[in-house]
Amino acid sequence: MEILKPAAAGTLESSDAMVTVEPCEEGIDFELSSTVIHQYGNEIKKVVMETLDRLSVQNAKITVVDKGALNCTLKARVECAVFRSNDQKENLPWGGVIE
Amino acid sequence: MILAGNPLKGKELEKLKQFLEKMDLEYDEGIEYSICILDDDYRIIATGSVEENVLKCIAVDATCQGQGLSGTILSNLIQYEFEKGKVHQFIYTKPKNRDMFEDLSFYTIIENENVLFMENRSNGFRKYIEKMKDETPSEALETGKKIGAVVMNCNPFTLGHRYLLEQASAQCDYVHVFILSDKRSFIPSEDRFMLAYEGSRDIANLIFHKSSDYIISAATFPTYFMKDKVEASHANCGLDVELFAKCIAPALGITERFVGTEPDCGVTGVYNQTMKEILPGYGIALKEIPRVKNAAGIISASVVRENMRKRKWMEVGKMVPDTTLNYLKKLQV
Repeated sequence: MEILKPAAAGTLESSDAMVTVEPCEEGIDFELSSTVIHQYGNEIKKVVMETLDRLSVQNAKITVVDKGALNCTLKARVECAVFRSNDQKENLPWGGVIE
Repeated sequence: MILAGNPLKGKELEKLKQFLEKMDLEYDEGIEYSICILDDDYRIIATGSVEENVLKCIAVDATCQGQGLSGTILSNLIQYEFEKGKVHQFIYTKPKNRDMFEDLSFYTIIENENVLFMENRSNGFRKYIEKMKDETPSEALETGKKIGAVVMNCNPFTLGHRYLLEQASAQCDYVHVFILSDKRSFIPSEDRFMLAYEGSRDIANLIFHKSSDYIISAATFPTYFMKDKVEASHANCGLDVELFAKCIAPALGITERFVGTEPDCGVTGVYNQTMKEILPGYGIALKEIPRVKNAAGIISASVVRENMRKRKWMEVGKMVPDTTLNYLKKLQV
């Protein structure tokens, strides 16, 4: 999928994450701030990258403000932001690229 | 319970204003969206608002702090901004709130005793400075050169703007020209930029930049764009001048700022006055250049727009260069 326009998903509340995506010319520009960056920074990056890969997103500027979200939450927020950037709100591929 | 409005009206707005007053904040009339969290008795316990790309009037009742309500409010406002396509967001707050907003991933641009000005990009301002340096020829960044600056909206570019640039160019080795990026003017920012560039091509040593969000923008100087609605005493432009003087000018070696005298408009008049007070403290001289008069009277962009509406092309032609005249005629067709 392509990032067509800026989009955001999630919140800044505890145990959640706010994920924002913006169009980017080439590659993935990843920025993370997290309350647990020292403990889980690499893990969060891995989950985000895997999710983008699964959605075939190759070019994106993605910012994650993590407030201690679980992996499943992170995945869901990334998926939601990417689909919002495509204005796709129906016929979502549940069980397909959305796990 | 959540109460939201684009913006709130009537009794709900009154309620919000009262709450803000209690929190020592003032409701801004330019606000386009507000959200409030209510308790079981329908009293406001937390709130936040949006105007353009600025998040403002954010407050949480003293008895409800520590519950993460500011996170809820901010998430909602950020989501609203993204849906409007406004990616780059700013916050004005009191310096004591710095930690709270840093936790919510906002980053300081500039701070004084009264105000803290933040953005949601970790290196947004630094990148803007780098971009301006990239746009500048290396000779203009060497020390010992006399560098000037002009900030203009050019709505549209007139012979008055041209005169100001000529004067600045004659007095300096290089002149940085910042054209406002705000989208609310009659002529789109890209076109205003192009007209200023085309209309002053023969003037030596001008370096053009887009003013972006950091010079006279909805974020740094919101009242500039509501000149007719705002009392001059509420111009609120000190931070814009400070940001220019403290962070932008030194990066480019600017030591002079040129402006046209402002006989009529209250808000712009106060802006000039504020520059006169603040800039010298940072080693920058403010040069006020008297406005040019020609056969058509004092040249002013608002008079040009007025004449254009009345299709008085002869009058328009007396005040603008040919490049602008041709553009305006095409626009009218």
